[in-house]
Amino acid sequence: MRGRNLMVGLLVILAFAALNVLCHAQDEIKVGAVQPITGRFAFAGVNINAGLEDALMIANDEGGINGKKIKYIMEDGQYQLDVATAAFKRIMSRDNPMIMYGESTGLGKAMSPEIKDRYKILYSSTSFSGELADPPANPYIFVPGPTYGDMFGILLKYIANEQPGAKVAFFYSDTEFGKDPIPFARDMCKQLKLDLVAEAVAQVGAVDVTSQVLDLKRKNPDFVIFQGFVVDPVQTVIKQCRDFGMKCKFMGTFWGASKMIIDNLGPLAEGYMAVNPYMYWWNDDVPMIKKIKAYTAKKYPNVTARDNSYMQGFMTGLIFVECLKKADKAGQLNGEGLVKALQSIKDFDSGGLSAPYTIKNNKFPVARVWKVNVEKKIYEPASDWITLE
Amino acid sequence: MRCGDLKESYLEDEKIFQSVFVKFWLVLLFAFLILFPHFWFVDSYWLYIANLTGFAVIGAVGLNLLTGFTGQISLGHAAFIGVGGYATAILITRLGVPFWFALPAAGLISAAVGLIIGIPSLRVKGLYLVIATLAAQFILEFVFGHWESMTRGIRGINVPPPHIGSFVFDTEKSFYYITLTLVAAGVGFARNVVRTKWGRAFVAIRDRDLAAEIMGINLFRYKLVAFALSSFYAGIAGGLWVSFMKVVTPEHFPFSLSIQYLAMVIVGGLGTVLGSIFGAIFMTLIPELLNVLSGSTKHMFPGMDQLFIPMKDVVFGVLIVGFLVFEPHGLAEIWHRIKNFFTLWPFSY
Repeated sequence: MRGRNLMVGLLVILAFAALNVLCHAQDEIKVGAVQPITGRFAFAGVNINAGLEDALMIANDEGGINGKKIKYIMEDGQYQLDVATAAFKRIMSRDNPMIMYGESTGLGKAMSPEIKDRYKILYSSTSFSGELADPPANPYIFVPGPTYGDMFGILLKYIANEQPGAKVAFFYSDTEFGKDPIPFARDMCKQLKLDLVAEAVAQVGAVDVTSQVLDLKRKNPDFVIFQGFVVDPVQTVIKQCRDFGMKCKFMGTFWGASKMIIDNLGPLAEGYMAVNPYMYWWNDDVPMIKKIKAYTAKKYPNVTARDNSYMQGFMTGLIFVECLKKADKAGQLNGEGLVKALQSIKDFDSGGLSAPYTIKNNKFPVARVWKVNVEKKIYEPASDWITLE
Repeated sequence: MRCGDLKESYLEDEKIFQSVFVKFWLVLLFAFLILFPHFWFVDSYWLYIANLTGFAVIGAVGLNLLTGFTGQISLGHAAFIGVGGYATAILITRLGVPFWFALPAAGLISAAVGLIIGIPSLRVKGLYLVIATLAAQFILEFVFGHWESMTRGIRGINVPPPHIGSFVFDTEKSFYYITLTLVAAGVGFARNVVRTKWGRAFVAIRDRDLAAEIMGINLFRYKLVAFALSSFYAGIAGGLWVSFMKVVTPEHFPFSLSIQYLAMVIVGGLGTVLGSIFGAIFMTLIPELLNVLSGSTKHMFPGMDQLFIPMKDVVFGVLIVGFLVFEPHGLAEIWHRIKNFFTLWPFSY
């Protein structure tokens, strides 16, 4: 008899537990992420992860998605395709989230067919690659800002405005990341009547760039745009060019717009410019930056600054939240509903973190050009927000 | 309990199925492997890992034939896998060859490249050969990245999944059966090769090449055969990997993958087919288990992600060193000891 009572008791507890899990699961929205927490992209991955998580947790603190809480599930992808794919599939089969975030261009490309035909989830990633913003090929994938091509377009537009007919050179790395925007950028030069005088290619982290620099010296460009490097060999190139007495201006795209570059370049950063779609940590007058700082002070008292990659993660989080809210309101909280919500984003206010966001071909082609202030060791706006049509 | 296991000839000693028990357990193992995708706990993630493990087994068996049996250390195995991967991708996408023909062709192309890379092995031995194969790794990696007209360079090639008629092998579950079939074929072939004339020649070359030559073994020929065989396996593993992942880029076959394969055969046990299987399983499963573990326990250490997640690499390293210290003959030897213990259990003396 006692045994039976015990059994019944246990069953009741189990039933309650199951019910609890079910109820809990119903008003919980899962967002999964495969982040490059270790591996060679870790320097940015840690920041991006923090940004994305903070954006989602702040949304939770503010009442969640119409009352439903967001659960953030993150796994390390090590910036290796097979490990990242494993993590992706692990999250999908264990947690079945509605939204996924990926760590690299490669993961997005590899998972693209399955995201479209099998999982049907909203997907964004650390990548600004143009190949991932292609709505006919994959309506579920978006880029949380301008693509590398757009960034080049914005820089070239800025140059054409400042110095019509200027001589331009591209200095890019021998990687997918480096070559991604180049064909588009060549076309843009023709359109804007800029004179593309040189294209130099170097390996990431190259030490000897003498031949490329000599080539630049011969062609004597007014602007040199870097693409596909994180730090090296940007410093070496600038130093050697300055040693040759060249007066050209150097520019970079998103990964060349980090605080890390300023710290690395030191006095060489004088006149360096970069394109960045998000505001920086030191732009205290921006309401969203204020909110981020207050949240960081509360949650991570030891953290004193965040780089632009954090803002990228944060912005992606804001877009996710906006899509979830819209889809939930429409009563279609699933992949299809999220894509519809994404396509309806128009003049989205990110609290000043970027210009009002309007989606165009699954990307947001708006950014501004920033210039380094060497004394203060920060970037200051050199242009207003430039939208690429 | 197994007893009365008396062997009266060398032929009997070389038998694969030495007793009814071996057959029984193998049948059971196959039944398990065939039914594996249908178990209740197996989801697409587990099948994904099973597939990856299968590719690793094929690759590791190949490398063990070369390194474990013939004694030729190769640091270019990842590049041979890459050759197979690219050959499959190019044959399927450019020439429209069906996967079923492209895969063996990729194996043969990889074997041909292996033959060429193996040529220095007659002149150079030991560490010098290691450097020669290392060069192959870097040359081939460069070719993958820069022969743009063929490999599409850094952008890579998207590969359609294999199909028979209208049935497409595009899920982990369907692909699992392709992998399983090829793993069984590959392991079976390797197990047989090592007890033929070729296999004995390999072992003789490994143990003392001079003595082998005096016995009449054509060193050049058998070393090249070993290279070709090993690369063939690598090519098949690469072709499978590419068709499974549906994409191939030069970044997928780095030098570190070569090291990983070498680690598989060393941890598993050099010179045993079983060892390659154990090594491949160990090297694929343990990092995943550590991933799962660190994923499920990281909530106990909030804000420590950066410190905690990389710890799995440390743990993995310690595990490998531990194995090598406590069992230099690898996992296969541990398996043998366990098996021997149970042979006469519970009546061992």
